[in-house]
Amino acid sequence: MHSNRLGWLLLAPTLVILFFFGVVPFFYVLWLSFHQWNPFAANPDIVFNGADNFRALVFDAGFLASLGVTLAFVFFAVVSELIIGYALAQAFMKDFPGKAIFRTIHTLPLIMAPIIVGSIWKLMTTPSIGIIPSLLDSWFGFDLNIGTSAVAAFTVTVIMDIWHWTPLVTLTLIAALVSLPSDPFEQAQIDGANKRQIFWHITLPMIMPAVLATVFIRLMDALRTVDEVLMLTGGGPGSATRYLGVHIFKEVFPRTNYGYGSAISIIVLYLTIVACWLLYVSLIAPRNKKG
Amino acid sequence: MTYTDPKDIQTPVNLEEFEEESRQSSKDARRQPGFLPIETNWFDRLFISVVIWVALSLVWLRFLEPAGLPLMISNAISIAIAITIIWKG
Repeated sequence: MHSNRLGWLLLAPTLVILFFFGVVPFFYVLWLSFHQWNPFAANPDIVFNGADNFRALVFDAGFLASLGVTLAFVFFAVVSELIIGYALAQAFMKDFPGKAIFRTIHTLPLIMAPIIVGSIWKLMTTPSIGIIPSLLDSWFGFDLNIGTSAVAAFTVTVIMDIWHWTPLVTLTLIAALVSLPSDPFEQAQIDGANKRQIFWHITLPMIMPAVLATVFIRLMDALRTVDEVLMLTGGGPGSATRYLGVHIFKEVFPRTNYGYGSAISIIVLYLTIVACWLLYVSLIAPRNKKG
Repeated sequence: MTYTDPKDIQTPVNLEEFEEESRQSSKDARRQPGFLPIETNWFDRLFISVVIWVALSLVWLRFLEPAGLPLMISNAISIAIAITIIWKG
């Protein structure tokens, strides 16, 4: 009983912080999502409007388009990061000259603030001054203009996200690969298993918890991407890169439509939780199926 | 010489093992097999019910409410589904 009380006492500061900075804002946003509140409108009061915000949301073409491009962005970014991150992690498991320097350089994007990443990529991709359009033009005669081409803008935001976050995936997978015991691999080699069989039947099942944790983190992050994209494309051209985070930002700050913005935020939270839960159920739960 | 019935011989009982077994059996009793394809506790089933309630409400608002069916019907269906999942899932 004494140790239990001590445990709660030690946890108390974290729980208090979590309550005030996590639980209270969540319930405030949930409460606000059922109200109309625009402080600069003719009626600046908070007025209860039932499910009207959600009713408007399911018919909002801007929101639905934003949801579509966000899901595409999340899919391409997270899958690419996972594949490239695993390949790099396997490369870092072997010794080669300059490995330490390469590993340090490769980790640098991770320590940059997203707004800086957006600025760097904006400088690199601006048609008249950027190095990327210049090189693409001189090498392949390809005209890269993220200000006019929706496909180019979308692709560049995906590549930027991959560049920024692949090191996180690599580091997590290196940690997972390093901690694997060597016995099952030696046993498999003695039994004549090839590399593909070893990967599918030994490596992947053993690193699955790390892969899943990484995918959860990246999925949650990618679904709420704002600053990088806002800096690079501002959500354009048109609504090609107006991801949900950017959509909420534009709805809440310039238009001060707090009630509607809260409703979108709640739906984004719902989608994030459901996506992570479905992933968990499909990858982990089948092993714990009821007899 | 006295005869001792084998039933009367007291064998040492591992109390920890016994307690673990009784805990396990009470847990098994609570974990009745339901219709959901995964093993769940009551909180999982409550979570699944909320997820279904939100999804059904959004679909209802988009497609069925414009046809004249009020959202209250969706809420009633969601509550019925929630009770079924929590009770039988």
